[in-house]
Amino acid sequence: MKILTDLIGMPGVICAGEYSYRGDRFTYKGQMDDEQAKQASIMCRATTMSVYMQTDMLGAFCKDSGWAPNRGWVVKGPQFTVCVIANIFCFINEAQGSLNRILEHMQQELSDVTNELV
Amino acid sequence: MIKRVLALDGVLAICHFRDDGSFVEGYGMMPEDQMAGLAHFAHDYKRIVQGNTDQLSMFTGINGWTPPSGWVVHGQTHVVCSVGNIVCLLDEQASLSEVIQEMHEVSSW
Amino acid sequence: MPDLNQLMALPGALASFEFTDKGELIKSNFTEGGGLDETALDLLSHVCVANTAIATMQARGWENMTGNKGFYPVEGFSMIGLDWTTVTHGQFGVVMENDKADIEAAYSALA
Repeated sequence: MKILTDLIGMPGVICAGEYSYRGDRFTYKGQMDDEQAKQASIMCRATTMSVYMQTDMLGAFCKDSGWAPNRGWVVKGPQFTVCVIANIFCFINEAQGSLNRILEHMQQELSDVTNELV
Repeated sequence: MIKRVLALDGVLAICHFRDDGSFVEGYGMMPEDQMAGLAHFAHDYKRIVQGNTDQLSMFTGINGWTPPSGWVVHGQTHVVCSVGNIVCLLDEQASLSEVIQEMHEVSSW
Repeated sequence: MPDLNQLMALPGALASFEFTDKGELIKSNFTEGGGLDETALDLLSHVCVANTAIATMQARGWENMTGNKGFYPVEGFSMIGLDWTTVTHGQFGVVMENDKADIEAAYSALA
């Protein structure tokens, strides 16, 4: 997948992957083994499901909200950041990469992906 | 048949939803649109609980949590509980154990 | 401690808010006509607290399982919506318009 190749070529990206919304398959590129990438897919998928539901609720309570539909989410740790747009995840070493640039690229490349499969 | 759960004390509403989240039927003291909303919430929440129990099993290596049979959210005066594809809204007069046991039976039909 | 007025100076900021560790809204600032109010920000705060708790569980589990440190403790959670991005850290958050949002600057301002 082109976006995974793009992402892994960006500074600071440790691993980039794609998970299916059904949770039955995943692909990845980068510094993880198969088992870790599978676990990362499970975690990212679970959070995505949860965030989609929450933004739908926010949208229901707040008319004309700019939150819904959800496009993705970011979790920042002391050294690493995980970001997800649509069904693509990316693990970033903060000291080596720019979250803004990575997110901008992901949002541009994945702007046509819909949430229908979620 | 899910109507029989409504006969238990404290059960205010019961709804049945499909695996895709669509509303099948609902009974009780709630307008139909609210029941459909409850069913929609229960479906979403079921998937979240499934996701979290999968992760708990993954991180601990213990499988007793998966697959989850259901969930309960306990508020100050009301309880929402779900087993399989059935969700109930209860008030404080309900016996949670009795309701869940009945929901287990009904959901296995 | 972040200042809610200074957070409003971030590019595209629509709202800044402070919440309890349970997610109840304490204080907020929002732009007039931006589509946000205290009810929405209170719900948003609950969403962010819930997701930070889940992410903390994941970070803990991931570090234990892989031995890779640097994910725990979680220092921020962001949600990217169709038009708005929310960034939270600790008990403070900011909502920004996507086309102007600088997420790195928001994390720095919230730290």
